[in-house]
Amino acid sequence: MFLQLLLSGIAFGSLYALIALAMVIIYKTSEVPNFGQGEMAMLSTFVAFMLLDTYGHSFFVSFLGALVFAALLGVFLEFVFLRRAKDPNILSLILITLGFEMILYGVASWKWGADQRDLSFPVSDFDLVNIGPAVISYLNLATLLVALVLMVLLFLFFRYTKVGIAMKATQQNPMAARINGIRVNRILSVTWAMSSTIGAMAGMLLAPVATLDPNLMLEPLLKGFASAVLGGMTTLVGAALGGYMLGIIENLFGGYVSLEFKSIVAFGIIVLVLCFRPSGLFAKHYVRKV
Amino acid sequence: MNEAFFSVENLCISFGGLMAVDHVSFSVSKGFIFSIIGPNGAGKTTIFNCISGLYKPSSGSIIFQGEDITGLKPHRIATKGIARTFQNIELFSRMTTMENLMLGRHIHMKTGVLSGATFFRRGSRAAKEEIRHREYVEKIIDLLDLQSARNQFVGSLPYGTQKLVELGRALALEPKLLLLDEPSAGMNSEEKQDLVFWIKDIQDELGVTILLIEHDMKMVMDISDRVLAINFGRPIIEGVPDVVQRHPDVLKAYLGEEETIGNAS
Amino acid sequence: MDMKRDYYEDIQLLDSKVLWFWFLMLVAALATFPFIAPTYYVYMANYMAINVIVTIGLNILVGYTGQISLGHAGFFAIGAYGTVMLMSLLHFPFLLALVAAALIAAFFGFILGLPALRLEGPYLAIATLGFGMAITQVIGRWELFGGRMGVEAPALSFFGIPVMTDLGRYFVTATIAFIMVLGARNLMKTRVGRAFIAIRDSDIAAETMGVNLVYYKTLAFAVSAFYTGIAGGLFAFLLGFISPSTFNFILSIYFLAFVIVGGLGSIFGSVMGGIVMTWLLLELDKIQELPLIGGMLISFSENFMTVAGLPNISSIIFGLIIVLLVIFEPLGLYGFWIRTKIYWKTWPF
Repeated sequence: MFLQLLLSGIAFGSLYALIALAMVIIYKTSEVPNFGQGEMAMLSTFVAFMLLDTYGHSFFVSFLGALVFAALLGVFLEFVFLRRAKDPNILSLILITLGFEMILYGVASWKWGADQRDLSFPVSDFDLVNIGPAVISYLNLATLLVALVLMVLLFLFFRYTKVGIAMKATQQNPMAARINGIRVNRILSVTWAMSSTIGAMAGMLLAPVATLDPNLMLEPLLKGFASAVLGGMTTLVGAALGGYMLGIIENLFGGYVSLEFKSIVAFGIIVLVLCFRPSGLFAKHYVRKV
Repeated sequence: MNEAFFSVENLCISFGGLMAVDHVSFSVSKGFIFSIIGPNGAGKTTIFNCISGLYKPSSGSIIFQGEDITGLKPHRIATKGIARTFQNIELFSRMTTMENLMLGRHIHMKTGVLSGATFFRRGSRAAKEEIRHREYVEKIIDLLDLQSARNQFVGSLPYGTQKLVELGRALALEPKLLLLDEPSAGMNSEEKQDLVFWIKDIQDELGVTILLIEHDMKMVMDISDRVLAINFGRPIIEGVPDVVQRHPDVLKAYLGEEETIGNAS
Repeated sequence: MDMKRDYYEDIQLLDSKVLWFWFLMLVAALATFPFIAPTYYVYMANYMAINVIVTIGLNILVGYTGQISLGHAGFFAIGAYGTVMLMSLLHFPFLLALVAAALIAAFFGFILGLPALRLEGPYLAIATLGFGMAITQVIGRWELFGGRMGVEAPALSFFGIPVMTDLGRYFVTATIAFIMVLGARNLMKTRVGRAFIAIRDSDIAAETMGVNLVYYKTLAFAVSAFYTGIAGGLFAFLLGFISPSTFNFILSIYFLAFVIVGGLGSIFGSVMGGIVMTWLLLELDKIQELPLIGGMLISFSENFMTVAGLPNISSIIFGLIIVLLVIFEPLGLYGFWIRTKIYWKTWPF
């Protein structure tokens, strides 16, 4: 029982971790928690659905198409709206992304209504693999693996590629980065594209488990955001760990205490953690200087 | 010597192993102007932050009027009668000058949520209190020549005027001890002259004891009764201006070479 | 420029005979309006009054104190459920139940304000968001509150006079809203309001000037929650029926949108924001009935989108309004108002 709960907790946790990573990547460069992240992923997932279902393309074409769409959407939103904010403070940035959320949600529900659809996925949610006394579905296994591979890729990207290092530099000190010849605006575009793509990946992995409708990402986004906050909005590793922790704790709570209040416990824990570590578990807390 | 009006004893504070303030002690007599000088990063503002409660000292104590105020919350320290200004102006930029100064009266007022929300008559308690304190603030506005800025948002005022508004806000608290953190920074020489004049006024007429951090040596030497020089968080010497000015270590810390400070400013 | 002779003139609401005249005219207009307007518009006015109260409440927190809240739907729910429950279970009279429920909301606001003391930006956003979610979840799963199915509001009577129609409710709602607007305005002009604004502009300076941050930050949450709670209680009677799904995350964002559109840190702006946005919200629900655009939208929907999803266009428009306003007019309607006023004062130059 425990192992089973742990395992499915990790599977869900990897989805949260992906969303948390997507948010943190943006937060570190743009200093904005992107509330539009969920709907960006939802819309991209619908694009995959459309390519697959309406136009009859193969799964991988649709999947790639959706990822490209996600990247373009991210670049578009950052370039057209966020960059125009005159005097950006944290509140107005949050509000702009909340605005994205509403716009994208509106577009998706206008186009696809509230009908629930199935995203046909080549990996089954019903066939199970035995791991010791516990079982895991192929889909969950795939989710786990995709998340792990992505994290490794991200790590390598930030460690070894020129763009990755430039991004890290921009995150730490935009002014110094600019002086050193890094095109900060271009880095921002790349950041949003990357983040949006990762989010879309999470959306498409989630869609077969949940049902595909415009509300698909509402709760996962909040959980992903909560994970990022739990781990600390400024650390990629922390955010990923936060995702896994949240998935596991939530599932254990659901299994042993109360399934009904499963989704509240997440926020309860976060509020508690924040009381003691105001910048999350794995991030340093900075105090403003006078 | 009888008990000092305000004293700091063996004050230490460290940030991540670095001693920002290292065993600093001094005491100030009532009605004096006491200056702290030292090069940038010597820990002057950190001492102020400890006094006003923004930082908790690692060790040492701060005694005000015979009472240990070490580690109290900033607002508690304010109610004891210690007000301050900031090196980089910390005004309420989207309030008018008047409102900024009225906030300085905060600890002397009582109006709460209910009485504040429900004053509809001239005779109500909240309105009466508001009027009484506005009269007091008006005196400070007159004193500092701020009439023209009275109803302007302070964010749009020139730098020198903003510094004055900050001084006025601190005065509105009716402090017994006033901490001024580089009050003349960014002012032109004319404004500086006025400032010296006002600081003297505050000392003489209002009887306020003043702790001053200032880089303008001429000003420091002119108005201070006592001067403390520090470097790397450690005290070098404390004494009357003339003595401190000539102390070789002070010269070295400040200029890195042998030259009189008077010529440098 | 007129000369002031007395400090009271600085703080009083109506400092000239002309303003008094307009003030009385406004009261008279508000009092006669429901007798001549069609019922639907009276209903709309009630809705507006309620949203004005929420907007002011949220503005006190977001615009004046500089904290963020994505969980105000939670306080709204507490106000609504609290009022209904206190009336139907404990047989409180309406006004007492309303105030008691709002005080409960204020208490929750105080509780939420405690972690908020140490949190900033995104961290505060997620904490308040979690609070809002938790409230609706708990209400939705607790049988006492009617669970997912919701509860019906009891019959409303005001000092023994039964209030059954939109017209009757108008007098209750509009009067309360009117008083609360004036109250907020007074509050912001006096000591407590100044402390809130001071915390927003520079919490460090506020602290060193003697403002107790713990007290005033939690107080801001409590006052804000109180306003929202009152609005929630009135809302229960406007709909006559409440269920947990009404008080979702989107509602919290709508409230924020009202504040932004009206203008951060302006009571008058909040009044405008609440009124204009409520109108927009209700009008957008029947956008397909608009003369020219309606037909175009329907045929567009038929060809490219879905007709069933057409009402969601309001979400798109709301989102666009938020984004564009934040980018181009951060002061919202209040900013427009100020600029128009200056324009006419200096016209034709």
